[in-house]
Amino acid sequence: MRNVKKIVLFMLAVVFLAGIVVYSGNRNVTIALKGALVHTVTGSPLENATILIKDGKIEAIGLNVSIPPGAEVIDVTGKSIIPGLIDTHSHMGAYVPNDLNEMPQPIGPENRAIDALHMGTPDWDEAVKGGVTTIVTGPGSGERMGGQSVTIKTFGKDLDKRVLKESGELKMAINGVNLSHIPTIHSNFLKAREYLEKWEKYDSGEKKEPPPVRDLALEALAKALKGEEVVRVHIMWAHDIMSFLKLKDEFGFELQFIHAPEAWKVADEIAKRNVPVICMPIELAINVPESLLKGIVTLHKAGVKLAMHSDHPVSPEKWFRMNASIAIRYGLPKEEALKAVTINPAEIAKIDDRVGSIEKGKDADLVVLNGPWYEATTAVDMVFVDGIMAYDRQQDEEMAEEGL
Amino acid sequence: MRCAIQTLVVLIFCAFLMAPLNSLTDELQNTVALKGATVLTAEGPSIPSGIILVKDGKIAAVGANVDIPQGVQIIDCSGKEIIPGMIDEHSHIGAYSDANEFSMPLGPENRAIDGLNFEVPHWYDAMKAGVITVITGPGSGERMGGQSVTIKTWGKDLKKRILKENREAKMAVNARDLSHIPNIRMKLIKAQEYREKWEKYEQGDKKGPAPDRDLALEALVPVLKGEEKLRVHIHFANDMMTFLKLKDEFGFDLTFIHSSEAYKVADEIAKRKVPVITLPLATRIAIDEHLLSGIKKLYDAGVKVALHTDHPVVHQKCLRLNAAMAIRYGVPEDAALQMVTINPAVSSKIADRVGSIAVGKDADLVVLNGTWYEPRTRVDLVFVDGILAYYRMKDDRGLAEVE
Amino acid sequence: MMPIPRKKTDHFRPVGVVLAAIICVAVLVLSLQFIQAQDRSIIAIKGGTVLTMAGDTIEDGTVVMWEGKIAAVGKQVSIPDGAKIIDASGKFVMPGIIDAMTYYGIRPFGLNDRDNPVTPENKVISAYYPFGKMMHGEKGIVKDNEILSGGVTTVYIAPGDQQVIGGQGAVVKTYGVDYQTFTLREPAAIDMCIGDPPKQPMGMGAKPPVTRMGIATLLRKTLLGAQQFDQKIKDFAQKSGDEKGKTAPPPRNLGMEAMVKLLNRDIPARIESDFVDDIRTAIRICDEFDIDLIIDSGLGAYKVKEVLAEKNIPVVLGTPTHPFVQGGEVSMTPDLYREMDDYNAAKLLKAGVKLALGSFGFGFGGFGYATQGRWLLIEAAYLTGYDVSDEDALKMITINAAQILGVENRVGSLEKGKDADVIILNGYPLDIKTWVDQVFIDGKSVYTREGGLK
Repeated sequence: MRNVKKIVLFMLAVVFLAGIVVYSGNRNVTIALKGALVHTVTGSPLENATILIKDGKIEAIGLNVSIPPGAEVIDVTGKSIIPGLIDTHSHMGAYVPNDLNEMPQPIGPENRAIDALHMGTPDWDEAVKGGVTTIVTGPGSGERMGGQSVTIKTFGKDLDKRVLKESGELKMAINGVNLSHIPTIHSNFLKAREYLEKWEKYDSGEKKEPPPVRDLALEALAKALKGEEVVRVHIMWAHDIMSFLKLKDEFGFELQFIHAPEAWKVADEIAKRNVPVICMPIELAINVPESLLKGIVTLHKAGVKLAMHSDHPVSPEKWFRMNASIAIRYGLPKEEALKAVTINPAEIAKIDDRVGSIEKGKDADLVVLNGPWYEATTAVDMVFVDGIMAYDRQQDEEMAEEGL
Repeated sequence: MRCAIQTLVVLIFCAFLMAPLNSLTDELQNTVALKGATVLTAEGPSIPSGIILVKDGKIAAVGANVDIPQGVQIIDCSGKEIIPGMIDEHSHIGAYSDANEFSMPLGPENRAIDGLNFEVPHWYDAMKAGVITVITGPGSGERMGGQSVTIKTWGKDLKKRILKENREAKMAVNARDLSHIPNIRMKLIKAQEYREKWEKYEQGDKKGPAPDRDLALEALVPVLKGEEKLRVHIHFANDMMTFLKLKDEFGFDLTFIHSSEAYKVADEIAKRKVPVITLPLATRIAIDEHLLSGIKKLYDAGVKVALHTDHPVVHQKCLRLNAAMAIRYGVPEDAALQMVTINPAVSSKIADRVGSIAVGKDADLVVLNGTWYEPRTRVDLVFVDGILAYYRMKDDRGLAEVE
Repeated sequence: MMPIPRKKTDHFRPVGVVLAAIICVAVLVLSLQFIQAQDRSIIAIKGGTVLTMAGDTIEDGTVVMWEGKIAAVGKQVSIPDGAKIIDASGKFVMPGIIDAMTYYGIRPFGLNDRDNPVTPENKVISAYYPFGKMMHGEKGIVKDNEILSGGVTTVYIAPGDQQVIGGQGAVVKTYGVDYQTFTLREPAAIDMCIGDPPKQPMGMGAKPPVTRMGIATLLRKTLLGAQQFDQKIKDFAQKSGDEKGKTAPPPRNLGMEAMVKLLNRDIPARIESDFVDDIRTAIRICDEFDIDLIIDSGLGAYKVKEVLAEKNIPVVLGTPTHPFVQGGEVSMTPDLYREMDDYNAAKLLKAGVKLALGSFGFGFGGFGYATQGRWLLIEAAYLTGYDVSDEDALKMITINAAQILGVENRVGSLEKGKDADVIILNGYPLDIKTWVDQVFIDGKSVYTREGGLK
């Protein structure tokens, strides 16, 4: 009898230990990255610094950080570390096979990208290799009001955990091809305002009559009027930008511009209204004119908040970092360029409580590079997403050699 | 009552003035002298108080001191200017079409004249505006074969109005399709081979069978021989260079039409003595200032420029305004006049008949009430083949309402 | 206590103060002089032949511009010290030219919403592009040398004419530092068309309108709808506070709101119509709804000149050298060609109809943008050969245009208090060889001919 007890206890112990081992294999361990040049983004760069990661978050960052025993120490001497890059405008995972634009429905703000995400595409891995850890992806810009996007990390076993925000901005598109574009959007906002007033009247009343008919489209627009959602407009020409700024003046919604290649022509008007601009992808895939490239700096000087984007697949998510590099080449200060791919997009996407900079309490999304972060010759060595190593270049290359 | 009497007096006076001119509309050859105007012959300095003697539909004499035979009717043109009847080398006046496109497939066996409408008012309005000779036709695309006719805008006998039924090869090219040029070049090479084949056959004993006939290549042979022109619709400078190189290779007689960017390669064009039919298109199309200044550049380089309306792109009657715009953009006045008279005449090989006020040429004359190129100036009289075709005082609808 | 002896330096104190005061005053006076001498904001154009468009021609006249306005115009005008003098001897000075109808500056092309014949809510200002070459250049509004070279300082921009009701036009200057500065009147009118251009293609399942009746009916229905819309708003406004709380206000409608402006006669209807019967239809409908009317193009207007004069309906004629109706060449449309009369303008003027000239400028494929307005002086000159006096011809592109467009309080003539939109020409304006040498808008030089065209 006593032997059986022992055996059972022993087996329990084994199971227990195994569980711990297995469990800890799945759990985030404490990791210390030591010796790199760390760009926190919110402060000055720290040379030869240590970042402590615990439970998927940044636990500490500094020059003299005490590393707890049992922590996995990774020597990153000579490397640079930047926050995981954030792309506020992509269509990654949302365009295969043909789900990008619900073209027959010109006004469809109720359509949601999360309902159409394709997680199996290899683009996600490629994005991670490029150091992009968070993207805002969603429908295309074919329609006037395209629908809502999803803010999601590029890596992670649990899809639900990867999603930071299920729905986001109200996406609109405008280009000066037809005079009726602006009045159409204008009228819809007017209708949304009336819808809002109707519902507010009903909600504050005795509710004796039946409620007003629900309209998903107007509901989505009403959120923008209440300031609960941002209006993000895909826009090309300076005069269209002016028209949209006038709409903002009238309705007071929070506005962001995507692409806006001519934004610099009306930089002061944009800055005056605190509208951020998610710039044209200036990675080399697209032949953008010199004026536009110089215009990025004009925008910055006028005080406009800038974010880069890839518009993947227009320019590959993997080379997102190059947008910042080219902006630097055209005169954007390095710190601003880094902000434009980290904290600015985080603020624009309203996820800056979680990502966008290397600060205590934020997600441990980190990119380790083997040289200055903005150089084309620099390679991404390691990428951490929520404290887990999502990519290790050395391992990746070894496996490639072995034919795996 | 007083008003009515005044009206009557004016009318009688006008009738008195008109009386001698009435007899000029007679079909029989009359001799008439136009006296006292500034005569701009288009071939030499202007004659400040000149005399033109018209006889049998031709210019009998022109100069400062011309003997006017006894009994000849003299028309007093003091204070007026007289220019040669203007010539538009590229127009579609009279073309039947409801749409803007004129692409009608025509082969060398078709006659342009069969495709024209002579009842439209544009012919008369063109003549009223001093445009007497036009090269017009319905076709305007890429094809071979004669589809234009050189014809006067007025005359009682349509057959007599025709100067030439043209058989020139007409092409259009724009750099959008890379295959255009190799196609044209192949055709020219084939035409050359065709010519050699036929010449061999003609010179031989003709015992063997004749070579196959090919109408399209046949149409190109006169071009290669230099008997007919190759006219090409062309806009871009790079296309022009290509065509100039083709001319170097095959030696044909070439004219550019529209030629918007010709000024960019003016020297190359001048070197090969290629005439250019070009802009401005009056005030209708907002052409870039550089293109408008280009006419002067072409002129300075020594290129023979003719201005055209491409009616109905610009109405035929605006040819004079084209010349005015050229003057505005720097072309000397007499050179601009040549661009709507002698230059197109020489280029289209009708200079023996029209294009200047010279002895022996057709009496196509335009009498204006002021400086010939100013927009405010009106045409007072038009002679076509020595016959008074238009007399403003009599014809003008506006003055018909005398209150 | 012994008195503290005064230091020697104390004696100099009052003297020092006085000295300092003198120096300060001297500096102040000198700097004031300096400021005055540098006061480039006052510009005087001297010595030219001034065509004010508000009376007589002033030989050897002076125009003084200050703070964007005309401060003085005349023969003997005292010029303030320090003003910048521009010598205009041998030249002509006149108001900036006004193009009363054009599609200038509209980008990209595609003004006409062919799918929808009635779009009063569309605003042409949203398609106006004053930023130069697309995708190129520096920040800000761009000075367009091409249009300025013709002395054009104000334009009426319109939606296209292939709809029954195209939308709201605007009067803008050809340069200004920002939208607020260059916009003179927006909306300035509602643009419409009666005739062939707005017809939809015929056939099975054709959308209205396919006939002139259909066009007229659509117009009238829209105006009727506007009346009803306006009535609903007025009814709601008259409700008591309690009642207002119970019911929802009438829903907003951008198109109807624009049409109500017509009913209130805040803005006119501009109806492009050429055949005299189309003009009659325009007059009939505007009478029915008691709205202000301007006839655009009006090739056949001379046939109803008495009616137009009696009802004070102005006409904006197109260019006499090449009348062009969008969607069709006049010379290719035989009926319309025969409707035309070279003396249209002269006859209308004689009957007392107010006239302006518009270039109706349009872009033509790759051949540049709609800057035909730069040749309006040539068109005006052409008219003088057809019984229009020089004075009337020039008024058609200055003060008359301003009055018709409803901006005469600002532009159109050189009068004290109006905007300093002034042009200097190197010869008589109606000569073909005359060029514009300099253009001022709001008192600032925006173009000079030596500056060259880029």
